[in-house]
Formats: sequence, C-alpha cells, structure tokens
Amino acid sequence: MPVILLERIPLPSLRTYTSLSVVLLSCAVFYAYQCVLAFQTNPHNSDLNGAGIEHNVNIGNSKEISDILNDPDVVKEPLPSEFDIQLPYESFWWNVVYVLTSEIWCIWTVVNTAYCCLILLAKLIQKAVFGELRVVEKQHLKDKFWNFLFYKFIFIFGVMNVQTMEEVFVWVAWFSFLGFFHLLTQLSKDRFEYLSFSPTTPRLMHMKLLSLLGFILFSCMVLLCACTYIGLHAGITIFAFMAAECLILAIRCLHVLGRYVIHLYEMNVDGVWENRSIYIYYTELIFELSAISIDFGHHLHMLLWGNIFLSMASLVICMQLRFLFYEFKRRLNRHQNYRRVVKNIEARFPMATEEEIKDHNDNCAVCWERMESSRKLPCGHLFHNACLLSWLEQDTSCPTCRMSLSEGPQGDPNGNVPDETGDARPNVPHPPHPPANPQTTNHFFHFDGSRYVSWLPSFSVEVTHTQLLPHGGARLPALQTSQLDNMARQVLSVFPHMPVNLVTEDLRNTRSVDFTIENILEGRLEAPPPGTLVTRAAIGDSESEEEPENQVCIKIISGLNSVYLFIKKKMLSILTSLLDLHLHWSL
Amino acid sequence: MAGSALRRLMAEYKQLTLNPPEGIIAGPVNEENFFEWEALIMGPENTCFEGGVFPARLAFPPDYPLNPPKMKFTCELFHPNIYPDGRVCISILHAPGDDPMGYESSAERWSPVQSVEKILLSVVSMLAEPNDESAANVDAAKTWRENRMKFEEIAAKTVRKSLGI
Ligand SMILES: [Zn+2]
Ligand SMILES: [Zn+2]
Repeated sequence: MPVILLERIPLPSLRTYTSLSVVLLSCAVFYAYQCVLAFQTNPHNSDLNGAGIEHNVNIGNSKEISDILNDPDVVKEPLPSEFDIQLPYESFWWNVVYVLTSEIWCIWTVVNTAYCCLILLAKLIQKAVFGELRVVEKQHLKDKFWNFLFYKFIFIFGVMNVQTMEEVFVWVAWFSFLGFFHLLTQLSKDRFEYLSFSPTTPRLMHMKLLSLLGFILFSCMVLLCACTYIGLHAGITIFAFMAAECLILAIRCLHVLGRYVIHLYEMNVDGVWENRSIYIYYTELIFELSAISIDFGHHLHMLLWGNIFLSMASLVICMQLRFLFYEFKRRLNRHQNYRRVVKNIEARFPMATEEEIKDHNDNCAVCWERMESSRKLPCGHLFHNACLLSWLEQDTSCPTCRMSLSEGPQGDPNGNVPDETGDARPNVPHPPHPPANPQTTNHFFHFDGSRYVSWLPSFSVEVTHTQLLPHGGARLPALQTSQLDNMARQVLSVFPHMPVNLVTEDLRNTRSVDFTIENILEGRLEAPPPGTLVTRAAIGDSESEEEPENQVCIKIISGLNSVYLFIKKKMLSILTSLLDLHLHWSL
Repeated sequence: MAGSALRRLMAEYKQLTLNPPEGIIAGPVNEENFFEWEALIMGPENTCFEGGVFPARLAFPPDYPLNPPKMKFTCELFHPNIYPDGRVCISILHAPGDDPMGYESSAERWSPVQSVEKILLSVVSMLAEPNDESAANVDAAKTWRENRMKFEEIAAKTVRKSLGI
C-alpha cells in the first residue's frame, strides 16, 4: 500500500532462492574444504611448529596433551601462510565446520542456508498438512507476521537495547523459531475453524492437523528446555522473557487442541451432550485468561526491567499493557454476565418435570435435539439448560414467544399473547445507510534508526493513501446492531471521551473500527464540549466539580493513544514495505 | 461453537430434504462447508414474479442459531426490499437487540426458533407483497408505488431472465 516501489522489486521464486542458497553453501563448503586440505597437505611450516604446540596445550584438553606426548607427529597443526586460521580439531570434517563458522562470509552463508531450510520446512508442512491455503488464512498469516515482527523489533532494540551483532544474531534466531511456530499455530487454528464447518472431513485430515499441533506442543517443550539452559547462563531475567514467550505459544496451541478435541467428541457422539457448551465456555475462559495474564506479566516485566521510561518502546509497551488490561477486564465482565445469567436461570426457571417434558413432546427449539432434561420458562416453553443460557447471554426474551424475561417489574405473561408458531413477519424493511466519501490522507514519517542501534539507518517516508470508504450503504451488508455496539465499544475503549452516539453514527458510515479511529485521530470526528453531551449530563450533577480534572486525564490518555496508534501504524507500514521478503514463498 | 451450529444445520438440511416446502429448494453449496447454502426460490403464484426461479446464497455465522444468517440473491431482482446488490432486507434476518432507528420491535427480529425454511417462506411472502416504507431499493419502491405497470414489466423481464430465456 504505502511504498509501491518495493512491491515492484521482483523477488526470486522459492526454487531460485533454494538453488542460490545451495550454490552459496557449496561454495562455502568447498572453500572450507580447500582450506583444510591445503593446510593438511602442507603442514610443515616449521617456524610455526612451536606455536602450534603452544596452541594445543593452551586449550588444556588433557587427552589432547597425552596424544601430543604419545605421538609427536600429530602436532603438525601450524598456520599455513595463505590462510590465517588455526585448526583446533583433529578430525578433518570438524575442521571444515570450524572454518565455516569462523569466516564471516561463511557464517552468513550458513545463516542463509538455515533460513532457507526453515522456509522449505514451512513449505513442506504446508504441502503435507494444509494443501492450498485459503485467502483468509493467508491474510491472517500476513497480519500475524507483521505484528510479530513489529513487537519483536521493539523488544530487541527498545527493551533489550542490544548493541553487538552477536546478541542481535542470537535474538533473531530465537524469534525466528518462535515466530515460525506462532504462524503454524495460527494456521492450524484457522484451518481447524474451517474444518469444523463440515461434517464430512476425512479422518486423515484430522489426524494430520492433530499431529501438527502435537508437534508444535512438543517443540514448545523443547524451546522451554532450551531457554532453561540459556537462562542458567544468562540469568533469570532472560529466562523469564524467553519462558513467557514459550508459555504463551504453548497455551495458544493447547487452546486449539482443546477446542479440537471437544469438537471431535461432539461430532462423534450420538445423542445430546447437554453440558457441552458449559465445557466449551470454561475451556475458552481458562485459556483466554491465562494467555492474557501471562502476556500482561511479560509486558510488565519488560517495562520494569528495561528501564526505558520515556522512550518510544515504553510507550508501545504501555499501550500494549493497557490493551491487555482492558481485554482482561472485558473477559471478566463477560464472565460476570455469564454467572449472573446462570444464577438468574437457576433461581427463576425450574427444571421441568419428566411429565412436562413428555407432554411437550418436541425437540428443543434452539438446537433441535431431543430433550432429556430442560428448564421451564414462565410462559411454558421448554429449552435445554445450555441452550437457554447461551441465548439469554445476549437477549432477555423467550426465543419462542418473545415474552420478556428480564428481572424486575414484568407485564402479565398472559397479556403478552404468545405467537405459537413463532411466525416470521417479513415486510418490515431496514433503513438504507447514508453514503460516505473516499478520503485521501497524507503523513510524513521520520524514522531515526540510530536512536536504537548505531548501524540502523535513518529515513523519512511520505505516505499517501486513499481510504476506500464504502460508497453508500446499498453495496454493503447492513451492520447488525450487536456488531455495531461491539465496534463502538472497541472504539470507546480507545477514546473514552467520545460520545457513544457520535461513534456509532460514524461506525455506521465507515463500517470499520480502524476507519473510525482514524477519523477521530485526524479530527474529522470531534467530541463536542462536555457540557453538551447527553451521556455526560446524565452522570452529571454530583460530579460536575471533578469534571475539569477528568477531562485533562482523558485528554492525556487519548493523546497518548493517538500517538501510539499512529506510531504503530506507520512502523508497521514501513516494516511491511521494507521487509516484505519471502513471505509468499513460505506460506 | 461451530459444533452445535453444524448439528443444527445438518438437522435443518435433513428436514428440508425430507419434507421440502413448496417452491423452495435449499442446501449446502458443497459438503465441505455447511455454513454456505444455496437456495432456489420460485416466484409466488398470482404475482408479477410468477414463474421465475431466483437463486440466492445464505451465509451462516459460527454461532448460528443465536445469530441470523445473511441472505443474498445472486440474480438481479428489482424489488423494494432487496438492495441492488441482492441482499435481502427483512426483519427476521436482523440480529436480536434493539433497533437503533426504532423501526422494528424486537418481536420481529431474529430468534433461534427461526429456521432456513421460515426465512425462505418469509422471502416468498416478501416477493408477493413488497413493503415500500423506507425501502432498500428506493427506485424500486418509487416505481412500485407510482408506476405499477412499469414495475410489473420489469418483474416480467426479470422472470424471463431468471429462466434463461
Ligand atoms: Zn437445546
Ligand atoms: Zn415462551
């Protein structure tokens, strides 16, 4: 989108890249081979003999020393004049490896080969397990990839503040593996969700996907062992950083596995599994909450340890913390609502007796399955406990007759004439949506790389992009109210000072949280002064004295938010344009 | 989530094949995805759409039947309650909860006791009796109200087109 130039750069195909890598690697191996060979065929550089012995002794390997003592001929490992290398090993091939890992261009070749192998492995897994990827899956992978890159970039240069090439190298290697597994998990999740749409998925497909998930989980354990080992040397902080990442990955993977198992069980068990949705609910709850809390701890740790207050990285991390906190709160709120509904149902709607169920002589109207036990509503309609629960979580009326079930004062149930057939009334149309215009925006972005690491470049980019806002509601599906509310809530969590009605109005035009946020950021959507707000006035009178202070806080928070969103967006778009390499091969 | 939705959709499909209602055929587009359905709707008798066969697509959400599917005609249909792109605008296809515009009472909105069959029957009755108050297709509503002859002419053309004549 932003930098068209880079998209025009022809990237080599996977085949070309692989063969290039192979050629490069064989060059490097050949070079190393020649080195060692030349060295061994031309061993008697007599004046350096002494140095060779000294070198071997310095290594302090007693076995080697005894070898030297027993067989003086072995001690012919001086430096050949044309290669400035000392060969520490006796085995020929170990020496080749040694040369490969000590010459700088050889190291890069080896690293390149490793990435090539990783990409080939990804391709192989994709071919074997997933086949052709769907468009949604590709899009999710891309998003996930850039997001991962962005946050790890911040982590390496902002939090760890690494200075040397070696450190960067180690971290990049670690995150390459981690990212690889994260992407695989994402892909498995998407594919599982797709497979769960079909009753006829072949068993083999399930086996493949399940074993891939098992493999990811196993790799998580291996990575966890690796970071324990590294942690023993590098300290508890590094261990905590690495272990948290592993744990999050493992939890995501387990989450998918758990859902998968429940789904398979559900599809293969005949008859009703009444408590199914309760199991599903609690599985989701536990996994989501634990993933969020580990992530929260991880970010908090970064913020406190990194000692990076007042830098861009701290801003990004703070916002991430804030997001996680709200996510956590949102989840807890939902759970509270769930508990409330459960309590409500248990208190007010008794279980139906067997006779009542027999009289009813019909399936549950929500899931269309046989009823073995059920709840009875005041209007006389029967439903499964779980079915009723999931419906009442989002609505407060009887699904069949629409009688209001909300607590508090109620109308006479008989006054609300039950519509026995639940007949559809088709002819109430929905109002069409007002049109919105496409808009063009410009941003000037300056990135000063040397602030992070001296060798990073600095550059400025001007980004022009046209928002393809929908032309008139007639072309697009009408937004459901619940969807709209949801989106409005998302926007309001970012901009608490915006009035609800204004946000909803804008969302109805843009149909996208991102667009609305952008509209707010760029001042196209402005909050009216607090006095005129209906919502504010309603909370009003008693708090009116605190208002100015509140306003300042809110302004600061929303200011920070806008800066963060702006930075993140620009960073992502720049990263995307600069580093859009190889993704379309591997995935 | 998708598990219970899948079971319910399979049950509905079974019922639709066992006792097909008159003038309606519906089923999944392919076995691989039970959440994407195709439907054929015959124009109701004694209306200007009589004799036509109109194909439509239904897309179900993963939490069906808690939320309604989306329905869209894949042929051209000039009708006050059908958007020019084919989306159908009827109240039972709108998610539960209050209508922000106040046009509909919640009794007319989606509830899990609705089904594909009921949706399609409502669509048939919508074809028979358009509602021109605050329409989805303003042109069509205007023509329907002011120039019934022209509306019927266009409808007849649509019918012929839908039969491939
Ligand atoms: Zn049920
Ligand atoms: Zn009822």
